[in-house]
Amino acid sequence: MSAPPVLRVSNLTKRFHGVTALDKVYLDVHAGQIVALIGPSGCGKSTLLRCLTWLEQPDDGFIEVAGKPLGRELMPGGVVRRQNRRQIDALRPQVGIVFQQFHLWPHMTALENVVRPQTVVLGRPRDEATRRGIELLTRLGLADRMDRHPHALSGGQKQRVAIARALAMDPALMLFDEPTSALDPELVGEVLAVLRALAGTGMTMLVVTHEIGFAASLADRIAFMDHGRILEEGPARDIMAAPKEPRLRNFLDLVRADHRIVTTTVTPTE
Amino acid sequence: MHFDPAVLVDYWPLLLQGAWLTLQVSVAALVMGYVAGIAVALIALVPGWLPGLVTGCYVETLRNIPFIIILFVVYYGLPFCGIRLPATLVGTTALALFASAYYAEIVRAAILALPRGQFESARAIGMSPMSAMWHVVAPQILRALVPPSTNMTLTMMKESSVLSSITVPELTYQSLVVQGNTFAPFEVFAAVASIYWLIAVVIAEASRRLERRVGAVQAEAVSRNRIADRYLSLVARRT
Repeated sequence: MSAPPVLRVSNLTKRFHGVTALDKVYLDVHAGQIVALIGPSGCGKSTLLRCLTWLEQPDDGFIEVAGKPLGRELMPGGVVRRQNRRQIDALRPQVGIVFQQFHLWPHMTALENVVRPQTVVLGRPRDEATRRGIELLTRLGLADRMDRHPHALSGGQKQRVAIARALAMDPALMLFDEPTSALDPELVGEVLAVLRALAGTGMTMLVVTHEIGFAASLADRIAFMDHGRILEEGPARDIMAAPKEPRLRNFLDLVRADHRIVTTTVTPTE
Repeated sequence: MHFDPAVLVDYWPLLLQGAWLTLQVSVAALVMGYVAGIAVALIALVPGWLPGLVTGCYVETLRNIPFIIILFVVYYGLPFCGIRLPATLVGTTALALFASAYYAEIVRAAILALPRGQFESARAIGMSPMSAMWHVVAPQILRALVPPSTNMTLTMMKESSVLSSITVPELTYQSLVVQGNTFAPFEVFAAVASIYWLIAVVIAEASRRLERRVGAVQAEAVSRNRIADRYLSLVARRT
């Protein structure tokens, strides 16, 4: 038997005031894979990511990160036990998330953004954390930007600081929420290069996006989500070439038809 | 009748003692009230209905009752429960209680004004709620807290005059004593008004300095953008 998937989501369900945002979601992401999660706005993609970091508590279902249950676990005898805050916080560094708006901390320099969580959460000595921060930022091409505060950085640079901040925790899995949407369209290629380089290191990634081209050129597998359900999931090539699900076919047609409009004018609100 | 400040000559040490106590009481109430206020604000932000309800009751109770009544309830309520404490201590505590409700609202509003993503990104990376508050939220709201807190502190300092009604020998109490001895109320209260004014100026100035100090840390961050770097910096730098 091979190792457990890096991420296993089963039967995940989330309701907001009676509206079902996630409807029995099942998803496995294996080590080294890049999975792109696509779907129309409001389909539950971002909600899924928020549940995977436990910023949103799913109403039902289970999440396993590198074989360990997150948030809720099934005990022998079928009893479901909720984990306490400490248990959840202990597992959180394992799931790195890069938010759509990055959410860097503006009162700290780029380097401090990367160093502080290591010292606070992992208890790393400061000089070791600093060494790791410099190494990561250098690798991401920010060697000459480390002493700047976030507002003195461009969007692409901010994103790379956010990536470094998450990577410094040595996560098993990286989540990206719409990595192209907060940036200028011409930067899409740059983001793609960064994520590809990350993939080259064997990092496992789940990328939420509604840019089909981006998903197709980056991902090993694509999952299509609509109305809170994953309707189709498979190798990227198969999904793009021969979508089986009619709604996915529709979605792909629509997005391909006016790709430019979609990428430049739609601001996702979910 | 004519204005005769000479009547105050014999009594100025008494007024000075009163002013000193007013200042001490105000500073003590500021510290106690702020600590309580921060605690109440943090509890108010704990998810769930109970923390919000409890802190809401606390804040609304203290805000909706005149300070003099809060003072009387505490001052006469404690002996009722068998606790006897010096009036100055009781008065300071009541003043701190009163101010804490407003400080709590100031702190809570400042925290809520910060984009949620700041706290969430700290939590998602594994920081505990308290660590996230300390490392991420607190440094960012510090400056915004100063002006409203100063207002409240000035109000609270002036409200401390009410403590005279439970025999705390602060400035107003002493002025009543002096006035009774000299039968020159106008001169006495004019002098006392100036002393209160002076204390307020001292507090306001202290707050201005604090704001500048806290602001300097943040302004340093702001001035470090690329354009500002080039045009505002006095240090010659390579291009």
